[in-house]
Amino acid sequence: MRLSVETPKRASLSAIFWDFLKVSLLGFGGGIVLAHRYVVQRRQWLTDAEFTDALTLCQFMPGPNVVGIAVCVGAKTRGLPGAITAFAGFALLPGAFGFTLALLYLGQTQIPLIQNTLSGISAAAAGLMIATGLRFLKPHRSDPRTVVVAALAFAGLAVAKLPLLLVLLILAPLSAAATVILRAQPR
Amino acid sequence: MSPLGRLSLYLALMSSISFGGIPSVLPDIREFVVVANGWLTDRDFSNFFALSQTIPGPNMILMMGLVGWKVAGIPGAIAGASATAVPSCVMYFVGYRLWDRFRDAAWQKIARASLAPLTFGLVIAGGTVMAQTADKSWPAVGVSAAAAIFLLTTRINPLWMLGGAAVLGALGFV
Repeated sequence: MRLSVETPKRASLSAIFWDFLKVSLLGFGGGIVLAHRYVVQRRQWLTDAEFTDALTLCQFMPGPNVVGIAVCVGAKTRGLPGAITAFAGFALLPGAFGFTLALLYLGQTQIPLIQNTLSGISAAAAGLMIATGLRFLKPHRSDPRTVVVAALAFAGLAVAKLPLLLVLLILAPLSAAATVILRAQPR
Repeated sequence: MSPLGRLSLYLALMSSISFGGIPSVLPDIREFVVVANGWLTDRDFSNFFALSQTIPGPNMILMMGLVGWKVAGIPGAIAGASATAVPSCVMYFVGYRLWDRFRDAAWQKIARASLAPLTFGLVIAGGTVMAQTADKSWPAVGVSAAAAIFLLTTRINPLWMLGGAAVLGALGFV
């Protein structure tokens, strides 16, 4: 691995656009891996630590998280024009392309073959989402506070079927209080 | 207010509170568009979800574009996608500026530590609710479970699992 440079390399807007277009179209659920390879390793726009920091922020800010990475990298390298360019490359063009493709598919959903194929895909996609959440949780499995809060959030949404906003309003202050109290205690 | 206006406002609100990503608010969005307003059927909703997972690009923005399209055609698609993406991108931009400025502040460490566990639980719940809609047969439950296990225990690209499930579905097994 290369050492990170002190002065980040200047990013051209066209390079930001094309790199995030590629991350979006070739990422397939692994967009973060590809973004890291372009932004940190190949282009050296951000250091490893800066990239991790942006990732942490995006993980707990609301919204379509993957797009957040593009916005943050654009903002860090070229300010507002950079953020808009990264968004356009990541979301605008691939979104328009994907929408056209989706409409072509949807014209065919009455055909049993297409409907069956989509049933298979949606079952797998749901499983992958559960596994992604479990993967996030895995490094924290020996921390009771994290496991309890995650379990309560899961139960509130998936078992008790409470609205998300209610779950957040109840659990976020509780979790923050638990964090502060546990941190104050001597280990 | 027109259906399109109501949908846009609702999606913008949901996107702004979707800690853990859009999947964490999918149950609420389904409730609003399928149950409360009847703009989409359950089948439309899970078809859009499945489609958006197979097409490269920002899949949740695409899914909300399709939901908007069902409500009001092409203008609806643009409104649905924009309502999902634009307010949260503005928040990402402003949030990142502040985050970067106060990188070493104590409140930032507490915020990081207390919100992360919520995120984990909400993502798992989002997947579970989608599975409840998608898994109408035991083989479908098996496919969901297999995909989850493969992702957790191997380094296989998830695209292969979606492709494999598509083939199983096409052959009529799911």
